[in-house]
Amino acid sequence: MPRLVIDEREIEVPEGTKVIDAAEMLGIVIPRFCYHEALGSIGACRMCAVKFLQGPFKGVQMSCMIDARDGMVVSTTDEEAVQFRKRVIELLMKNHPLDCPVCDEGGQCLLQDETVSSGHGVRLFPGPKRTYRDQYLGPYIKHEMNRCIHCYRCSRFYQEFCGYRDLGPLQIGDRMYFGRFSDGALESPFSGNLVDICPTGVYTDKTARFKLRRWDLERAPSLCNQCSLGCATVANGHYRGVMRVEARFDSEVNGYFICDAGRFGFSYSNGGEGRRERPLGPKMAGAPASGPIALAGAREALENIAAKYGPEAIGAVGSDRNSLESQCMLALVCKTRGWLGPVFFSDPVVRRKTLAAVEALDGELAVSMREIAEADFVLVAGADPLNEAPMAALALRQAARKHAPVVVIDPRSIRLPFDFEHFPASPEEIEKYLGTLLRMAVEKDVAGLGKEGEEFFRATGFENFEPPAEMARLSELLGSSKRPVILCGTDVSVETTPAFAAECARLLRISGKQAGLFYLLPGAGSFGAALLSETAEKTFGSLIEDIENGVVRALVVAESDPFHFYPDRDRLERALSKLELLVAIDYFPSETVRRASIFYPASTIFETGSTYINQEGRVQFAQPVHRGGAPIRGGQHPPRVYSGLVPGGDHLPAWKVLWQIAGMAEEIAGGHGDISPQNFIPAALPAFDGLGAERGYPVDGPRLFAAKPGFRGKGGSAGGIGGERGEDPESFDLLMVEWMFGTSEFSAWSDSLDAALCAPYMSMNSRDAARAGLRDGDRVSVELDGGTFEIEVCVSDRTAGGVLVVPRHQALDWQKMKDFPVRVSAEKIRKI
Amino acid sequence: MEFDYPRVLFKNRKPDRVATLEEYRESGGYEALQKFVGGRVSPKEVIRLVSESGLLGRGGAGFPAGMKWSSVPDSSPFPRYLVANADEMEPGTFKDRVLMHVDPHCIIEGMVLAAYSFSASKGFFFVRPSYESSAHILERELEIARKAGFLGHRILGTDFSFDIVVHRSGGRYICGEASALLNAIMGKRPNPVKPPPYPTEKGLWEKPTVVNNVETLANIPHILRNGPEWFKGLSATGHGAGTKLYAISGRVSRPGAVELPIGTRFSEIIDEHCGGMAPGARFKACLPGGASTRFMTGEHYDIPMDFEDLKKIGNRLGTAAIMVFDHNTCLLGATLNLMEFFARESCGWCTPCREGLPYMLELLRRIENGEGREEYIPNLRILCKQVWNSYCALAPGAAEPVISLLDFFEDEVRQHISEKGCPFHAKAGH
Amino acid sequence: MLPDELKLKLREVIAGAESPREKAIDVMFEIQELQGWMSDEAMVEAAELLGMTPLELEELATFYDYIYRSPVGKYVIKVCDSTVCWLEGHQRVVDYLSGRLGIPLGGTSADGLFTLLPVCCIGYCDRAPAMVINKRVFGNLTPEKIDRVLGQLAEKADFSGSE
Ligand SMILES: Cc1cc2nc3c(=O)[nH]c(=O)nc-3n(C[C@H](O)[C@H](O)[C@H](O)COP(=O)(O)O)c2cc1C
Ligand code: SF4
Ligand code: FES
Repeated sequence: MPRLVIDEREIEVPEGTKVIDAAEMLGIVIPRFCYHEALGSIGACRMCAVKFLQGPFKGVQMSCMIDARDGMVVSTTDEEAVQFRKRVIELLMKNHPLDCPVCDEGGQCLLQDETVSSGHGVRLFPGPKRTYRDQYLGPYIKHEMNRCIHCYRCSRFYQEFCGYRDLGPLQIGDRMYFGRFSDGALESPFSGNLVDICPTGVYTDKTARFKLRRWDLERAPSLCNQCSLGCATVANGHYRGVMRVEARFDSEVNGYFICDAGRFGFSYSNGGEGRRERPLGPKMAGAPASGPIALAGAREALENIAAKYGPEAIGAVGSDRNSLESQCMLALVCKTRGWLGPVFFSDPVVRRKTLAAVEALDGELAVSMREIAEADFVLVAGADPLNEAPMAALALRQAARKHAPVVVIDPRSIRLPFDFEHFPASPEEIEKYLGTLLRMAVEKDVAGLGKEGEEFFRATGFENFEPPAEMARLSELLGSSKRPVILCGTDVSVETTPAFAAECARLLRISGKQAGLFYLLPGAGSFGAALLSETAEKTFGSLIEDIENGVVRALVVAESDPFHFYPDRDRLERALSKLELLVAIDYFPSETVRRASIFYPASTIFETGSTYINQEGRVQFAQPVHRGGAPIRGGQHPPRVYSGLVPGGDHLPAWKVLWQIAGMAEEIAGGHGDISPQNFIPAALPAFDGLGAERGYPVDGPRLFAAKPGFRGKGGSAGGIGGERGEDPESFDLLMVEWMFGTSEFSAWSDSLDAALCAPYMSMNSRDAARAGLRDGDRVSVELDGGTFEIEVCVSDRTAGGVLVVPRHQALDWQKMKDFPVRVSAEKIRKI
Repeated sequence: MEFDYPRVLFKNRKPDRVATLEEYRESGGYEALQKFVGGRVSPKEVIRLVSESGLLGRGGAGFPAGMKWSSVPDSSPFPRYLVANADEMEPGTFKDRVLMHVDPHCIIEGMVLAAYSFSASKGFFFVRPSYESSAHILERELEIARKAGFLGHRILGTDFSFDIVVHRSGGRYICGEASALLNAIMGKRPNPVKPPPYPTEKGLWEKPTVVNNVETLANIPHILRNGPEWFKGLSATGHGAGTKLYAISGRVSRPGAVELPIGTRFSEIIDEHCGGMAPGARFKACLPGGASTRFMTGEHYDIPMDFEDLKKIGNRLGTAAIMVFDHNTCLLGATLNLMEFFARESCGWCTPCREGLPYMLELLRRIENGEGREEYIPNLRILCKQVWNSYCALAPGAAEPVISLLDFFEDEVRQHISEKGCPFHAKAGH
Repeated sequence: MLPDELKLKLREVIAGAESPREKAIDVMFEIQELQGWMSDEAMVEAAELLGMTPLELEELATFYDYIYRSPVGKYVIKVCDSTVCWLEGHQRVVDYLSGRLGIPLGGTSADGLFTLLPVCCIGYCDRAPAMVINKRVFGNLTPEKIDRVLGQLAEKADFSGSE
């Protein structure tokens, strides 16, 4: 570990630390433009010049280009270095327009800061300024090339870090230009990070353009709840609206970046126009009601139902977008009041898969995204990282950049921004591929695997399976890897796969590797839901039956919309209309909300403190950003039309509404005053106490595991299912899948995401398509039990045979099936 | 010619055509190949002989050739590559072109021997667009060499294989910089890359790669055939080694490329080998080693033109391209012209060069056009210092003429400012 | 659309490389040989052949001096404007050509035959002033020599090889 002196202070840093980072460890932030920790150094801007006084380097040198070494004495304040940096600023400002007053970057501009701190004020250069033509880069990013200081951060982030190839450096010399081949939307779903990473205002957030100034914003550390990864964000509120979302650094989770769904998918919180207008006032029987009246009304109605039919006639429904607070309150209410539930999952298989994942994850196996980036072999089983958890795809790319092989076993024609091996296996075959690859990799070590290991190992020997030729090479690489990671999804895989994947990871550990396991779960709240639904076997599907049978008479639905996920819409409608009471608590203007007998508005993640446990068990807290609520915008300030709406609205955190309508005030907190999640979360989830005892509430960062470490040797079907599905070429498994844009509830209610949507299509294997007489681009109707939907066909060699892959797209009327799994016979697909 | 120096690289020079393979062989060509590759002499021995010869790279930096080859680690992976740098885009430099037109086989043989020394299997000639005729010649002669068994698969029946292709550049000065050149060959943007790693460890496609100037390579067969001592003895000074191709242009009677013992005095080069100054022209200054060296005044008219001697006076031999300016030349104008070149050719990677050179250009242009101000002079000095700390050597090279202009001809510059215009303008036609 | 024979030839060129991108310049030169310049459509097609995105090819095309991304005449006359040619009167050459062709520096003649451009040192300083037409160099320029060259060019359509 080299020891060096920077500005007369000594520091010891890890081998390979750049001087610029060593200084930062001392709290000395050396000016820089091109250097970015995530991108590494290129020495282009020359802004980080410092003077080396002693050691192997001498004189003014770039601190980003030199590794700290023993005996170095460095000065950041040496006059020569200071003057050099000042001149760099002068050179950059030679062409930079002084448009700070109309630049969205103003106030958060690195160039502005460095210019001011360098003391540069007067432009001595007598010539004219250079100008460029800007390009149209799509709906999210505004391009203003005149502001460019040519630091290369954008193109390096875009191409090297993310692996997209439509934005880069053009021209030469002082005509250098960063842009696309021609005008058009950026292809990368990580393009929003350009806004954060550009040290000046070349790329600004179009959705926030001319709306705000950094210093006017209410800013708070928040979380993205659009998928199960829980990336760290900074949310910016202003005038009761969320103005923009930026990435927040989190070394373990998302690093410096977030995806575009996370960045731009916030506008539901502000509400849109028409059908997307956010419901901010309570309603009873469809008519506006004041907050206290609605709460009292709901409470009374629920008490009546309980009195009439017993408390178990009230079903409590949550979701995977619930915060842990809401989930715990739901669990607590059910426990104390005797309501049925809580029900967090719609499909029993998904529930069991999620539970299996949560049960399998222990402190030994669970890896973070940072650790994925450092893996030297990654096996992706039944997961589509880019669509299900976009930032995981970026983490995989970082591993791939360091030459880690990435093997994807999945029925979909997976796309990832790097080269990888793809085995298009049907869901039933995933374990077969995974198990075989693993078997071939550790075959030699079988003796050392222990009894259970050997047994499990024997069970993974899939009979009659001829592994594809590439597998030999890949298994060798896996065999020689040191830090392999298995990334397992819970969406298309069969029920046993998550547990099977865990056992595979354990086996790799037994064979001496630092193996890790990383699950993708259905939603931000899935982990918490799994922890809390361990005892409640119910799913929404069984609840529907209970309603139909007259067992359940009332539903309390908190931040959940069955109309979004339930596969049989007709049946759902019939069941809901049979209810005597439907209480909905939400921030979306959902169909459930529209049909509720009593509605109470919930606060969004931006308006209330919320805890989420991400898919690796990390408990994270999103601070409230602003009060939110009734918007103040275009011409409505002050509101000119009288309305009953309280400024800011009546919205409350969903858990608080639940607490009130369940009449829990008496039970908890002594029947008066307020209540804090600090009190009720541990009551519902005792493990929580262990995490934050000394910290108290909120808890942010530690991991919570349900599983005990150790090999169980019983995961999955272990050879049971492999290839068992009847080889019936005349019918297909219908796989309903997630897309990055267009399938989530957030994307349904955030008009800001509309621009990123593309039309849904159904992918199928080319041989299947040929047999069915279909060609790429054909439009077909697909007949299901409850009706048909129409969709375009996309034919691919990389889609597994025997499956039809369809997104749960908001533009697709797909909820016409009885239940999952669905098989579609060939004659039910007709070309139109 | 009246001086009887041994001619090595230009031995087969014909007034109007390229030397053929036969002519080259008659003069001893491919003997070294026979002896060292054919005889399976240890590659280490090749490196030792070249190191001992004291051959310094002819591409501008004067790096010892043997040392470069030996820096390819023995354990490093294959394939390994060798690149002959024939980019030669620095204003005033054209010796490599003449060499390629004179005796291409001596470069080819040199490449095979160099490749043999560190087990390279593929070579590239990197050629600029305006040298299409050279590219054409090279491709033709490469095929001839291949047919003769001197190149390609199993050279001379041994198990050593090495082949060469011509890589055409799209034309940019920065492509001549070794690391940028490698990017160019790989089809990437030709920005330079700072070591570590050095190209000899990770060059083309992350494999060991040596880049040498074509003149450097052309010397190899002769060194190996005649021995290091012979090579050292060619020098006109005690410390230099070999002959040197000097490319003289500008206001002399007979511009052109000449081969002379390295360290031949400047006065002799101009007066004897170039027929003296052009009629009516008096020597004012020259750039002794290409566009990125300092102006040299008459004070050093007698200097031996060798790496060391020029270093002693704070200058550089560079590419030994001598541009001669006469008393009627406005050196500010010449500097302005050079700066136009450098600013246009900056690759745009780093701030001092991308922004600093156009800055200097603007100031120089204003002074030349009579819009100069006194403060431009100190500002130019600061800029010269600033660009010294650029990413690669292009910008520091670009500053050399400017800073030496201010060092030696500041009065002339001031005259432009005080007279609000170029004092030479009326006199000369430019 | 690139003609099929050309595509065939380009595929061959690319096949001989260590990696396809290595041949980016050759491919563009071949296309320019036939079409004069790299149109957007040509860029897209060439990029595809090279396994690059159009942007990636554009990164190279716009870097280099001898790749034309806007239409040029059949003969691109580039007059060297670097130091030695400057010293030896490149301006006179430019003026003369400009007058003869009736186009300013940067212009293309109405008949689409000639484009006049400046170029940095072409390595023929011993024969200054010099110019390069397409890839052929002409040195020691005098008005008479220029007339002769232009005359020849206007006559014969085919133009390849070197001086
Ligand atoms: C901007 C720049 C341009 C260069 N151009 C050339 C060139 O055209 N030909 C050349 O041989 N070396 C050129 N060099 C030097 C090369 O980087 C490298 O040092 C040389 O090719 C090594 O060959 P040598 O060791 O045989 O001299 C250039 C260097 C710089 C910084
Ligand atoms: S000094 Fe900088 S900008 Fe100039 S050529 Fe070198 S790397 Fe490029
Ligand atoms: S930060 Fe070091 S050169 Fe840009």
